[in-house]
Amino acid sequence: MDFVGSRRAVNEHVIYQIPLYVDNELQGDEQRLFEAHINACASCWAALEYERRLILAIHQARPLYATPEGLREKVEQILQNHQPISKRFSSRTRRIFVATTVVLGLMLAWFIARPTHIPLVRPSEFALVAVDTHQRYTRNQLPLEVISSSPEEISTWFAGKLPFNLKLPNYPEDLNQSKPYEIVGARLIGFKHDYAAHVVYRLHNRPISLVVTSETIAQPSGGEKIPWQGLLFHFDVINGWKVLTWSDKGLTYALVSDFEEHGQASCVVCHSGGQDQHKFEGLKFR
Amino acid sequence: MIGQGEDKEGQKSIEQAILEYLEALYGYAMSLARNPVEAEDLVQETYLRAIKGARRSMPTGDLKAWLFRILRNIWINQRRRAQGSELLLGIDIEGLESESEWTVKNQQRPDTIFEQGLLRENIRIALESLPEAFREVIVLRCMEGFSYSQIAEILGCPVGTVMSRINRARAELRRRLNKWADGFCGK
Ligand SMILES: [Zn+2]
Repeated sequence: MDFVGSRRAVNEHVIYQIPLYVDNELQGDEQRLFEAHINACASCWAALEYERRLILAIHQARPLYATPEGLREKVEQILQNHQPISKRFSSRTRRIFVATTVVLGLMLAWFIARPTHIPLVRPSEFALVAVDTHQRYTRNQLPLEVISSSPEEISTWFAGKLPFNLKLPNYPEDLNQSKPYEIVGARLIGFKHDYAAHVVYRLHNRPISLVVTSETIAQPSGGEKIPWQGLLFHFDVINGWKVLTWSDKGLTYALVSDFEEHGQASCVVCHSGGQDQHKFEGLKFR
Repeated sequence: MIGQGEDKEGQKSIEQAILEYLEALYGYAMSLARNPVEAEDLVQETYLRAIKGARRSMPTGDLKAWLFRILRNIWINQRRRAQGSELLLGIDIEGLESESEWTVKNQQRPDTIFEQGLLRENIRIALESLPEAFREVIVLRCMEGFSYSQIAEILGCPVGTVMSRINRARAELRRRLNKWADGFCGK
């Protein structure tokens, strides 16, 4: 803007720029011209004062509506049930995920190695219940209470029903990546006068049961002990079902499957290398 | 529980960070829906989508504006579904006179309204009587302090549109508050 133009502009009323000025949306020359005019013009100055007071009064009227009681709790519940897995999910969720991944990896190693002999140490009651649960599920005697492939939905469904907090991992995060395994659904099962969680996964069309309870209620024991990354896994074969139990961060887990029984051709754990091996590596926590 | 301090790096978790805007989001939801039940649903749905979205990729930029945009999109989609046709927020402002309220009368007595005390209730009534598109920009700008460009982002429209809509909304608000002041002062 040239000097003559500026002189002319100073003499023009700036009423229509008042909201912009009050909102800090005027800059540079515009702002300087506005201020120059305001300082010389009583009526524009009065209008500016009016606008300032109006804005202040509106701002001070906040909040116009009181947030309903209980809304914060509802939202907190939503957020707890949908903790992002990427950067800051809880250490427990992370550990469950690591453990599940490690266990699936262990199963791979274990099934390839084909152990023919399991030490005759009595399996834990929890392992027996887990196998019984899986067996009844495969016989359609134990219908799932929630059917969903979404770990969030399953976690939400469990919220408040269990004597502990259970969050299922979601992997892979990238929606475009195919999941190496999928969740089928879940239900509650009774164990020692309380509820335990039963989650059914499907890996290559084969069911896998994950049963979870509190470590204060059940401790893994029996079978073949395998230390792995700071955790102690117990492998067992019960009525032909393969079961792994372990404890981590206050929870005890049992993973039951029937891979061997269903033959090898369709089973990822029996494949060496190739596409399936790659998928298995994808299971590993980054 | 969410809200128990910060993690090791001294950073807030995304849950804690977005929870700080609960009251602001509820206020915005009320200004759109004007119904506590609907507003509550809107806020819950907003948080659900926000946390799911944050799981896929952490939001960059202004978190508050991001949340407001999510809430507004949910609202617009709900309205579209409910009305079964395309909804244009702001269609109800076309008939209103624009920028016509800076009268000499106002300028001669700029303090009158404020001397009488502009109560929260009067502002609420005046705001609620505004067309939705005007009410919305007043809430975003004057109550929540968003800049014009942030509002443009939330509304998904050009900054110029925001500018003129805010001008017209304020003019309309002034007019309604002046009417109230006239009644109050018996003029
Ligand atoms: Zn002037």
